[in-house]
Amino acid sequence: MSLIVADDLAKSYGKVVAVDGLSLRVEQGNIMGLIGPNGAGKTTTIKIILGMLKQDRGKVRVFDQDPWNNPYIRHRIGVIYERAYFPAHHQVHDYLKRVCRIFGKPESRALEVLTLTRLEDAHDRNIKALSAGMLQKFAVAHAIIHEPSLIVADEPTANLDPEARSDLLDLILELHKKEKTTFLISSHILPELSRICESVAIMNKGKVWASGNFEELSSKLGAKATRVSTDKPGTLADELKKLEYVNRVEADGRGVTVAVNSGEEEKLYEDVPKIAKRIEAKIAGIESGTASLESFSDLQSNLAAKEKAGNDKNF
Amino acid sequence: MTKISKGRPFLEVFSAAMKENYRFPILEIFAFLYAFGTFIFAGLGATVAQSSEIFAHGLVNTLTGIPVFILLILIWANVAYGLGSDIEKGTIQTVLSYPLKRRTVLTAKLLSALGVSLLLFLGIQLFALFLLTPEITREYFGTIALTYAANLSSSLLMAGIVLLIALVLKRGGLALVVGIVLYFALSIISSMVMFLVWTGTDLPFKAFALIYPNMALGRYYSGLESSPFGVSGLWTPSFSEALSYIGASYVIVALIFLLCYVYFDRRLGT
Repeated sequence: MSLIVADDLAKSYGKVVAVDGLSLRVEQGNIMGLIGPNGAGKTTTIKIILGMLKQDRGKVRVFDQDPWNNPYIRHRIGVIYERAYFPAHHQVHDYLKRVCRIFGKPESRALEVLTLTRLEDAHDRNIKALSAGMLQKFAVAHAIIHEPSLIVADEPTANLDPEARSDLLDLILELHKKEKTTFLISSHILPELSRICESVAIMNKGKVWASGNFEELSSKLGAKATRVSTDKPGTLADELKKLEYVNRVEADGRGVTVAVNSGEEEKLYEDVPKIAKRIEAKIAGIESGTASLESFSDLQSNLAAKEKAGNDKNF
Repeated sequence: MTKISKGRPFLEVFSAAMKENYRFPILEIFAFLYAFGTFIFAGLGATVAQSSEIFAHGLVNTLTGIPVFILLILIWANVAYGLGSDIEKGTIQTVLSYPLKRRTVLTAKLLSALGVSLLLFLGIQLFALFLLTPEITREYFGTIALTYAANLSSSLLMAGIVLLIALVLKRGGLALVVGIVLYFALSIISSMVMFLVWTGTDLPFKAFALIYPNMALGRYYSGLESSPFGVSGLWTPSFSEALSYIGASYVIVALIFLLCYVYFDRRLGT
């Protein structure tokens, strides 16, 4: 069952097109990642899904309702924003008790979520006195307090240090396991999403470029890279870049990392020794799949290569 | 879906806005300023009035002078630094994630920003009137209510304009600056209009009375008394005309707030 169904969504801000014909489905019980660079249209998409913005074109259904016209579906949705802003002069526990009353939950739930998000120590603090990491944890507590079946998070880890990021991702996984909560999480940090998401939709320029199971998508996009250890990494890299089936080449002091189109690794195994002989380089070893995509730019470059090759229609 | 009361979320948003707008000691300071402004000028009331009704009108005008300005400051602060800042910083996103219609959220916020300030202002003013002139206040309560209505519409109009600017520009501070500039611009225009009246040109005065209907009501009461300082030929509206000006000014106020609601409800991209 799809909790979120978006078809052909479009939204512009004046002449700036933020979302352009986006279609998306989020299945119940899934953790879905929405990945894309800044300006890809992730936040606009999320705001449309939450009923905070009205789309110019297309249809969106959340719990089979139009979110713009049915604010009451928010009883079933928790929201975490990139930057969490709450009324500054409320105390942490007091404000959560207020939110309990808004959603018709017992006030004791406030203490439960404070414990769950490890914020017990901040119980009596003013919200404005919380650090960025604590504020984001508070945002999670605020989002889960009414036990929603869907949580939508827009770049929830963007302003956190690595430790706080890891904590937050653990918390999301814990909630998913315990409550079977469905998540839609946007981010531009690929390793983060790969750690928690079961499926992913890759956005750029207001569109979903590719979507599906994370592993399948990695394989389709040639996400695995081949490591070639050599004494002339710079020269080898320059030669490899000339090959049509090579998507990405990065040279460092001890070798070259090469990403090729899926299924064309064999060609690379054949070509590397020939090139090495020509440029008089020594090859110490070739290892496949030792490096994976580390950033959105990797994905983007692979996608761009696919698009150039006219293969993107296969997605 | 859990069926819960729709009134409870509204009351909670209202009460949260109250807590933010009137945190200690803001309410206490403004209550003191209202009371101080009211009583300090009470002695300068319309003592030379020829009838109790004119006296009641004059007394209200005297009592409202400084407190209306204080009211305006409080409303502006609440609208520009309360609601305006919520929109600017993004706190409104949090409130809009609650199961409430947008217009309900705006109503709760405005009830806190405007409603409570007005109630406090009127409460202290009426208390002062009943304390100072209980019989006239009881007998001419209609005149008193009308004078308050005529006095407050311009403040509400300016609050509406500041709100609209804060919503459209999403900048509370800028909205406040525009509000202050507008207030002083209108004060200057008001003086110019008064000057034009003395030169025999009524039209700007009549047009301005749509924003400041107390000018029309004042002219009506001035027309009732034979003042040695009176100048014949000045425009003097009938009572129904003065009422129409008050009504029209509230229609303008209502239109501005309607515009704010429509914008907040349909257009505001958080």
